Amino acid sequence: MISKEDLEHLAQISRINLTENELEKFPKQLDKTIEYIDILEELASDDSVNLDLQELRFEELRMDEISMSDDKQLNKNITEDGFLRGPKMK
Amino acid sequence: MTKLDDLLAYEVVEGLTEGQFTAEEYVISILKRIEEVEPKVHSFITLDTEGALSSAKIIDKKIREKEDIGQLAGVTVGIKDNISTQGIRTTCASKILENYVPTYDATVIRNLKENGAILLGKLNLDEFGMGSTTEYSRYHPTHNPWNLDYVPGGSSGGSGAAVAAGECTVALGSDTGGSIRCPSSFCSVVGLKPTYGRVSRSGLISYANSLEQIGPICRSVKDLIMMLNIISGKDAMDNTSIPSSPITVPNKSKKLNVAVIKELVTGSDQEVAKSVFSASEKFQEIGFSCEEVSIKNLHYALPSYYTLASAEASSNLARYDNIRYGFDYPIGEYNWDTYFSNVRENFGEEVKRRILIGSYVLSSGYYGKYYLKARRLRSLLRLELLTLFKKYDLLIGPTMPILPFKFGEKIDDPIKMYLVDVNTVIANLAGIPAISLPIGFSNGLPIGLQIMAAPFEEQKLIDASYELEKVIHIQRRPNSI
Amino acid sequence: MSMVMIGLEIHAQITALNSKLFCSCRGNYRELRPNSNICEICCGLPGSLPIINQKAIEYSTMTSIALGCKVPDKIMFYRKNYFYPDLPKNFQITQYNVYGISSIGIDGKYELDDAKQIRISRIQLEEDPGRIVYSEGGMNVRNTALIDYNRAGVALIEIVTEPDFTGPKEVRQFLNKLSLTLEHLGVCDTLLEGSVRCDVNVSMNGGNKVEIKNINSFKEVEKAINYEITRQSSVYNRNLNIQLETRHWDDKKKITFKARSKEEEHDYRYFPEPDIPVIVLGSDFVTNLKQRMPELPNQRFERFILKYKLSEHTSNILINDKKLADFFESTLKIHFSPTEIANILVTDFKSLIEDDTESTDYLKNLKVKPEHIAELVKLIEGNKISRITAKDILVKIFESGKLPSEVVNSSNSYKIADEKTIMDAVQSVFDTEKAAVEDAKKNREAINFLLGKVMKLTKGRADPKIAIRLINSKLSDPEKQ
Repeated sequence: MISKEDLEHLAQISRINLTENELEKFPKQLDKTIEYIDILEELASDDSVNLDLQELRFEELRMDEISMSDDKQLNKNITEDGFLRGPKMK
Repeated sequence: MTKLDDLLAYEVVEGLTEGQFTAEEYVISILKRIEEVEPKVHSFITLDTEGALSSAKIIDKKIREKEDIGQLAGVTVGIKDNISTQGIRTTCASKILENYVPTYDATVIRNLKENGAILLGKLNLDEFGMGSTTEYSRYHPTHNPWNLDYVPGGSSGGSGAAVAAGECTVALGSDTGGSIRCPSSFCSVVGLKPTYGRVSRSGLISYANSLEQIGPICRSVKDLIMMLNIISGKDAMDNTSIPSSPITVPNKSKKLNVAVIKELVTGSDQEVAKSVFSASEKFQEIGFSCEEVSIKNLHYALPSYYTLASAEASSNLARYDNIRYGFDYPIGEYNWDTYFSNVRENFGEEVKRRILIGSYVLSSGYYGKYYLKARRLRSLLRLELLTLFKKYDLLIGPTMPILPFKFGEKIDDPIKMYLVDVNTVIANLAGIPAISLPIGFSNGLPIGLQIMAAPFEEQKLIDASYELEKVIHIQRRPNSI
Repeated sequence: MSMVMIGLEIHAQITALNSKLFCSCRGNYRELRPNSNICEICCGLPGSLPIINQKAIEYSTMTSIALGCKVPDKIMFYRKNYFYPDLPKNFQITQYNVYGISSIGIDGKYELDDAKQIRISRIQLEEDPGRIVYSEGGMNVRNTALIDYNRAGVALIEIVTEPDFTGPKEVRQFLNKLSLTLEHLGVCDTLLEGSVRCDVNVSMNGGNKVEIKNINSFKEVEKAINYEITRQSSVYNRNLNIQLETRHWDDKKKITFKARSKEEEHDYRYFPEPDIPVIVLGSDFVTNLKQRMPELPNQRFERFILKYKLSEHTSNILINDKKLADFFESTLKIHFSPTEIANILVTDFKSLIEDDTESTDYLKNLKVKPEHIAELVKLIEGNKISRITAKDILVKIFESGKLPSEVVNSSNSYKIADEKTIMDAVQSVFDTEKAAVEDAKKNREAINFLLGKVMKLTKGRADPKIAIRLINSKLSDPEKQ
C-alpha cells in the first residue's frame, strides 16, 4: 500500500513535483501497478540462473585517443566566460 | 502510372534512377499529400519542408551530374521524434524538450543521409516512448488513418500513421515493448524490431536502454529490407551494438518450420484469433509446417517488462533538469533542488508514474524483490525461446491481442493500457527480432501477425513475410483519406 | 588511551590518459576555457551513449595489482543515481560490489614501513563530475552556481581501505607510498592540481564513524585527521556523543564542519549500467599486464641493490624520489658507474634541488642534465679532478648549464698529477708550517693537517695520493726538508 507519505518520498527522490490531482489519484494507480508486478515473487530466487548478460572483450574497446568536435554543445544560460549558469545552491 | 505518393521506396529509387520523375517532383507530391491528410491524422510534430526540398534538389543535381546518389535516393523518411536529428528540434513529444535542438545526428540518421534519403520531419509518439496510443503525447494525439476515431497504436503512432497515410515513403520508429509493432499492426503496415544490438542506439533518446531498438516501418517487405540494411551495423558510438550480415531479397521459396504460440492466441479477441488461424493456413499452403507450442513463463513477461523498463526509465530521464537544454523556464531565484522538481512537474502523468515505479523498484530493499527477479525472468524466457528456436524457425501469434480501439478507452486505467503490450514485450525481453505483418481487417480495423525468430535471424523473418505478402494481399493504404 | 580507527577513500584521476573515461574529449581539462572540453556524451545530451576507454581499464588494473588486489575475469559498471548540478546525467557511472563482484580490484593489501598491512577493500573505476564554481564566496553563501563540465567524465580510480589506520602518521606514510606507486605506474601525477581527493572516516573508542570530505590534497589529510581527533576527544571529554555524520574540511579555516544534507540521501538505487556490456578481461589479462607494467617502487629498490650494488640507504633515497631515480638511470646509460653517480646525486645534487621538489616540472627545467653528471664522474674517475673540486664544479654547472669539462678548462681546475708542482706545494707548506712538520714526525695523524694545507694551496687540485706520498717521503728524509 502506497501512502501519501510514501508517494511524496518517491516524488522527492525522483525530483518530481506532483499536482494536487496526481497526489490524489497516483497512490491507487501505483498500488495497482505494484500489485501487478508482485507476481514476480512467485519466481524462485535461483542464483544458479545465469543472468545471460551481453559481453564485450577487452580487445574490442575504444583506443585512448582525443577527438574533439567543433559543435557547441551547450548554448543555454552561458555566461561571458563560458560557464553554465545554474540555480542557487542553497 | 501510380500516383507518385503511392510509390513504394524501391519504386522511388528505380523511378528516379530511370529518370521517370525528379526527386523534387516526388517530394512535392508527398508534401501535397501531407497538406491534405495532416489536419486529420496529425502524424507530425515538426515538418521540415525546406530541408526536404533542398535535399531533393541536391539529389537531382547529383543525378544530372551522374554522381552516385545512394541506395535510398529520394526516399522520404519520417523520423520518430525521439531520434536525434542535428539542427531539427527533437522533443520526445514532451514539454520538457520543447526547445531542444540536438547538436548531433543519431547514427541511423547519418546512415540515411549518406544513402540519399530525404528527412521529412519528426513524427509523433507517446511522451518518451511510454505508451501504446500516442494519447500520452504532450502535443496532440495521432489518429488512425483507417478510422480517425481510433488510436494508431504506439508509442511510434506517428510513424505508423504517416506511412499508412502516405505522408512519407517509409519511417523510423523505436520499439521498447512493442512500440514499432503495435502501430504497424493497428495501421496495417510492416514494422520490424531488430535483434537487440543490430541497430545502433546512439542518438536514440533512451527510455529503457536494455530493451529498445530503432527499426523501420514500411508498406512493403522489400522496402523494409532496404531500410534495415542501411541502418544496421556495429557502431563505435554504441558499445552494445553487434555486427550483422545484410538481408537479401528472397529469390526462391524456402521451407520453414513455424509454431503458433498457444497462449497468445487464446488471449486474443476472436476476430484477431481468426486472422491468425487463416495466416497459419496460408503458411501451410506455401509449404511451411505449422504446429502449436506453449511458453511456460509467459505470464511473468509483462510484469518483468514494466519492472525493468520503469527502473531504467527512472534513471534515463533523470538528466532532464532544464539546465543544459530543455524548455523555457527561467531559473530565477530557485535553489537547485526546487528548480529540478518544478521543471520535472512538466512531465506527463504516465511518464511520472513510470519514473516513480522505477524509483520504487530500485529502492534499497526492493532490488531483490522486483528488479533482480525481472532480470532472472528475462534469462529464463530467453532460454526457453532459444530452445524452441532449435526446433522451429519461427514463432508466430497476433501482434496485438485486440483490435484498434477508440481514444479514451484505456487511458484511465494504466494496467488496462499495459495489457495491450502483452504479446510484444516477449521479443524485447529476449532480445530477439520480431516483425508485424498486416494480415486482415475486422470492421475496417487492421490486424497484424507477429513473427519472431532467433537472434540475428532476421533473414528468416523476411523470407516468411515476403512469401506471406505474396499470397495475402492486404491493402496498405486507406481509401478513406 | 584513545583507540582511533581511520579509513580512507581516495579518488585519483588517471592523469596518464589522453581522453576521458567514456568519450574522446581531453583527459587534461586544466586551464581550458569553461565548457570547451565537452561533447554530447560527457554532457549527457539526450541519446548519447558512454564508450569505455581501454587504457583506463589497463591503468586501473595495474593499480589493483600494485595494491595486492584480486582482479576479476569480468568487470561491470553500475549507475549511482542522485541529483546534483555538477552531474550531467544525474547519475554517475561507477562500479559496485554488493550484488556480485564488479569492480577492478578487491581484497588487497599494502604494506607500510613497519610491515603493518593496510587492507584494501576495493578499487573501482568511475567518472568524475563537473565542477561548480560559486559566483561569490563559497558554497555556503546564497549565490548562483556556475558550472563547468570540462572535468565531467574524466577517469577516476577510487581506492577504499578498511579502517586499519590507527593515527595520522600511518595515513601520511600510506599516502606518500601510494603517491610514489602511482607515480611509478605512471597512472596519476599526484602533484597536478585536483588530481587526488581523499575522504577520511574517523572513529574513536568504538564510537560513531565521522566521514570527512572535501580534502583536496594529500598534504591536508594529516591536518584534517589531527583536527578531527582533537574535536572528537573534546566532545567525549564533555561526556557527549559523536554523531554519525559527514563533515567537510575547510582548508582555509583548517577545521571540519557539518555538511549539508546532500550526503544524507544514501539510497543511490544502484543497478547495472545497461549501455556498457560486461567487459571480459580474460584469464591471462593480469599475467600479461604484470609482465608489461612499469616497475613498482619495491621492485626498483631490489633491482638497484642487485644490479647496481648500491647500499640500501642510497637506494632508498633514490627510490623515494622517482624523478631523481630516473635521472640516475639516464646518467647510467651514458656512463655506467652506479656508485659514483648515485653518491653525487643523493648528496650534493640533491641538496641543490631541494627547494624545487613540489613542482611537477621538478628536474625538467634543470640546466643540469644526465650528460653533465656523466661527464663529471668520468673526470673524477679519470683522475682529472678531485672530489672536492667536483663539488664546486657541480654548483657552477647548475647555474650555467655548461658542461663540466668547459668549466674545468676555464677555471683551470684540473687535478694536478704532476709531481714537480705538487712537490713545490709540499715544500711551500713545509716551509711555513714548521711546527706541524715536527708534530707529524711523531704523530701520523698530523699528516692530514699537512695534506689539508697542500690541498688548500693547490685549490683542491692536487692528487691527494701523490701529495701524501711526497709528504711522507719528505718527513722520513731529513735531507729533503
